[in-house]
Formats: sequence, structure tokens, C-alpha cells
Amino acid sequence: MSLSEANTRGGVSPQTARRSPVDWSGAILNGYLVLFFAYMFLPLLFMVVAAFNANPTPSVTDWQGFSLRWFTELPQDERFLQGLVHSLAIAVGVIVIAIPLGLAGALVLTRLQSRGTTVLYTVLVSPILTPGIVLGATTMIFWRDAFGVQAGLLTATIAQAGFIASYCMLMFMARLQRQDRVLEEAALDLGASSVFVFRRITLPFLMPTVLTASVISFLQSIENYNTTFFAIGSSWTLVTEIGARMRFGLSPVVNVIGVIFVAITIVAATAWVLSRRRAGPATG
Amino acid sequence: MHGKDVVLDGVSMRFGDFTAVQPTDLTIEAGEFFSILGPSGCGKTTILRIISGFLDPTAGDVRIGGDTMTGIRPNARPTALIFQNLALFPLMSVWENVAFGLEARGIAKGARRERAEELLAMVALDGQGEKKPTELSGGQRQRVAIARALAVEPSVLLLDEPLSALDLKLRQHMRAELKELQRKTGVTFIYITHDQGEALTMSDRVAVMNRGVIEQVASSDDIYSQPATPFVASFVGEQNVFRGRLTAVNGEVAEVETAHGILRGRPRSGVAAGDEVMVFVRPERVGLSRNGGEASRDNRLTATIERRDLEGPFVNLHCRAGETPVMIHLPNSGESGPDLSGDAELGFQITDAVVMPAGDLARD
Repeated sequence: MSLSEANTRGGVSPQTARRSPVDWSGAILNGYLVLFFAYMFLPLLFMVVAAFNANPTPSVTDWQGFSLRWFTELPQDERFLQGLVHSLAIAVGVIVIAIPLGLAGALVLTRLQSRGTTVLYTVLVSPILTPGIVLGATTMIFWRDAFGVQAGLLTATIAQAGFIASYCMLMFMARLQRQDRVLEEAALDLGASSVFVFRRITLPFLMPTVLTASVISFLQSIENYNTTFFAIGSSWTLVTEIGARMRFGLSPVVNVIGVIFVAITIVAATAWVLSRRRAGPATG
Repeated sequence: MHGKDVVLDGVSMRFGDFTAVQPTDLTIEAGEFFSILGPSGCGKTTILRIISGFLDPTAGDVRIGGDTMTGIRPNARPTALIFQNLALFPLMSVWENVAFGLEARGIAKGARRERAEELLAMVALDGQGEKKPTELSGGQRQRVAIARALAVEPSVLLLDEPLSALDLKLRQHMRAELKELQRKTGVTFIYITHDQGEALTMSDRVAVMNRGVIEQVASSDDIYSQPATPFVASFVGEQNVFRGRLTAVNGEVAEVETAHGILRGRPRSGVAAGDEVMVFVRPERVGLSRNGGEASRDNRLTATIERRDLEGPFVNLHCRAGETPVMIHLPNSGESGPDLSGDAELGFQITDAVVMPAGDLARD
């Protein structure tokens, strides 16, 4: 490295000769970044501003005065609140189902030395590629016809867990592939049973992934629309309720929900970063 | 703790078409420090994994303390294995690592803790129990692995090149510690290594292995001075090798016709006139007729001295006799080295030369 440095320095400073007065690559990069962040955040900004507009149709341009009216209307909206409760209940249910299923699938696929694993992998990943409508509708019909379970929160939970478990599986697989299998052999050699090895060695190693997979599952579940819509029957979640309202025109109350979600996200992300920074220097 | 004997009865191991271990009979005595020495890929680790139960032999039977191990899983065998990379549990503290085997046996936490501290004290790690393995030095981690293995009171401790990750000084220090620990505990140690220094210094007996075959089992001294095969002779220590044809055996003297004329040495059993043979002589057994020294007249060679390397306690002379490189180790007498120019007369005694049927040599 020092040799190549010496070479470039030894030359007739080609860098200064080549450098043009305008740094075009820097300018293009900066311009791209501005566009990128505008694309990401301008819609959010519009949504937030419209939530404070007195105009009953969400708008930024047609400003009818600053108002907190929509913030006071939200708590009085029973269907929205009930929908939120449903969303949270489904999300918790999805985590409870998807984490063990995903972990089981990942263990089989990473540990089983068999030609069947390729086929099995395709089957287990396919729910991610299946359209949400299909997942939702088939789950609803299957549970109704096979077990007489009417479409509702249970079928919505099962339908969502169907594809979210696949995401969890992929995350567990990535973690398991980085595992030092010698540790399990060492534990076995010291007299541990297979169950004990899993509980004391494998599971603690997987705990970080259990946490992140739970968060991802929660977010996937909360924001899901198509699968839920087709599996939930006459019940509703916050998201399907918002979707249903869209057909009768928008209300700034939806914007208020958006503002609250954005605020929660910012607070949570900041808290996470701060906690990381505090623990940072020790853990690296 | 007490050691048990380990018997391999016709054990062999095949992976597809590849035979990693040829049919092997081997008896390791109870309480013995036994090393299996060989180059990488010779099958020594396979033998270790068969004894510990991670591999089932293709044929044959392993018996520990007289009990057959067929069908007995690693966690039910009276063995403990120290892995090459140690395999300490990174998420557990040092004392939890040491007590892991006791935890698996359902022993209460207080008793586990107490026993772990005893073992840590034995390996001079008192008071380090709360640390994580990553906070320890290489040598300390090594000792944690040993304490963890001894915690389950094994009858046989299997060590898979456990010192290879340490630097030279520490390695030499740990040799003495391991030997001392083995003596103190009386546990049978089976030590796998490609490092002849480790095998020769620590072991009661050494098995030298090549291409899935144990070529010789003997004491360290005998492995060095009485090698049974060309591979053992060339793998352990340094050797000068002269190829030739055996012309006659007269009692204790074999005459070999070589490119350097007739050389004489002690015949190994199984050589007969007409055979392709090799004559082995250790570098420290070759003399030089120079500087007032007089080489043996039993065997004489003319050679050119090409280089002189000072190794500290001895001087290593690189010579060439025709096409054959010859090495001479001379004690460092403090005088300046011999004149490097011109030819020199080398010689060695009949009793220092070993004549064996030609065979595989160890690659340097």
C-alpha cells in the first residue's frame, strides 16, 4: 500500500490535473439524496400537515385554519379503537404462532442432510410469494368448511402467520448458518441431552433473532391489509377499517392515526438508538 | 477420578471410497498419557471422534474399561473431549462453562458453583469464575476447557491438538502443565497432535500414524532411536536418507550399495539381499573430519559444505554428497565454524545407521 502511495505521489500529481472545477459526481450524489429523501418524507409531511387542517377533506393546499378537531374525534370513534385492539391481538397471536413454526422450519432445513430439503425449502418459502388475497381467502374457506370456524380474528391470525412464519424462518436460517456447531458437540460430549443442548446452547444463541423476528412479525401483522381483509370476515382491524372508510371519502381522522404512528416510530427509534449508544462502547 | 483403558478392536472407518482409518488394533493402558502423532489427514482425528462417540466405526469395536461402546452416544461415554478450538460457550461465564456438565446432570447450583471453583483453583484460575471466556487470555481459556472437561470426572480425556492456537512460549509451558495434570488426576489422556515435540515430551507412549495406519507404537525414546518404518524415521526428528540396494547381511551388519559406495548399518528385520533399501542416519550422528575432529571410519562420504546455520545449542551444516543432501548437527563449541570451502570428509558408525526396506517418507 505504501508503495502505491509513493507511486501516485511521485508522479506529477495527476489528481490535481484531473480534478475539474465543478465536482460533478458529488453534485449528482447530493441531488440524488435530496430527491430520495423528498420521495420518502414529503408524503408524510403532507399527511401530518393535513391532520391539523380544519378542512374536513384532507388537504394541504386548501387551508381552512389550524385545528386539533380531528385529534379529539379519534378517541370517540369506537370502530377505530376496537380495530386497534383487534390489530394488537392479532399481532400478538401471529408472533406466538410464527416464531415456533419459523424456528422449527429453519432447524429442519439447516440440520437435515437430505435431498428433500430443497423441495421443503421451496414449499416453506412459498407463502411469501403467494398473493395475500389467495392466502386470506383460502384460509377463510378452509377453516369454515373443514372445521366450521367462521371468518374472524382467529382466521385472520392464522392467515397472517402463514406467511410471516416464512419470514421468521429465513431469519432463523441466517442465524443458524453462522452457528458454531462444535459448541453443541461440546455440550453433548459433556453429558447433556439433546433437549438440554437446545435449551442451554442453541436457544440462547438464537435469542437476538427471536427478538428481531418478533418485532418484524409484529410490524408485518399490524400493517397487513389484503390477507387480513379476505380472512377476517365481518370483523375488522385498524387497517381494514381505514381501507373501508376510503370508499366513502377520506377523513382527516385517518391522517391523525398516521401522525400518531409516525410519532411512535420516531420516539421508539430514538429510544433504541440512545439505548444502543449507551451500551455501545462496551459491546462494540 | 481414575483412568480406564481404551481398546480398539479391529476398528476401521470409511467415508465412501476413502478409507480414513485402516483396520486398527490398539490398547491404551489405564492412566497412560498416550499420543497419536501424524501429519494432517492421517486419520488421527477420526480415531479420536470414534473413541468419543461422534463417529461410528465402519467395523470393529471400541471398549473403554472393558465395556463396549457400540451404540453408546457421546453424552453417555466416560470420555471428555477437548476441542481444537476449545468450544467454550461464549454466552456463559467461566464458572458456568466449567459447571456445564454438572448442570446437565441436574446438580444443584450451589454445589455446581463450589465444584467449579475447586476446578478453577486446580488450573490456577481462582477468582476468574465471573468473567466471560472472551475476557481471558489464550492460555487461560485453554485451562478453562481443561477444567470443564475434568468437571464431569471422565475416565478418558481426549485432546485434539489443544495447544495449536497458542504461541510457542505458552505451548511449551502448557506441555508441562498438561503432563503434571495427568499425573495428578490419573486420568487416561489420549493426545492428538502433528507436533512431534508435544508428543515426545509429554507421552508415556506414542503412536505414529500415516495414511490411516498406525505404523509404530512405542515409548518416545524408542520412536526416536528405534523407528520401525521409513515414515516414522523421517517424520520424527531429522534424518539423512541414502537409497540403495542391499548386497549382503552379515549378522548385525548390512551392506548397501549406494551412489556413494558401500554403506553399512544395522539391518531391520525383514530386509534381505537384493532389496531396495534406505539407510537412515540422524544428523547428530554424522561426524566431520575437520578442525581437529575425526569422523568414524565405518562409513565414509565426500561432501561439499554448502551452508552453516547457527541454531544456538548446535550448528546445522547443510552438505551435499553428489545428488544427496546431507545434514550434520555439530554441538556449538563456541569456536568459529569450519571452513566452508572445498570438500569435506563425513563419516558415521555402523551402529548409528539403520537399514530399512524402502518405503514412504514423510514430506517436509
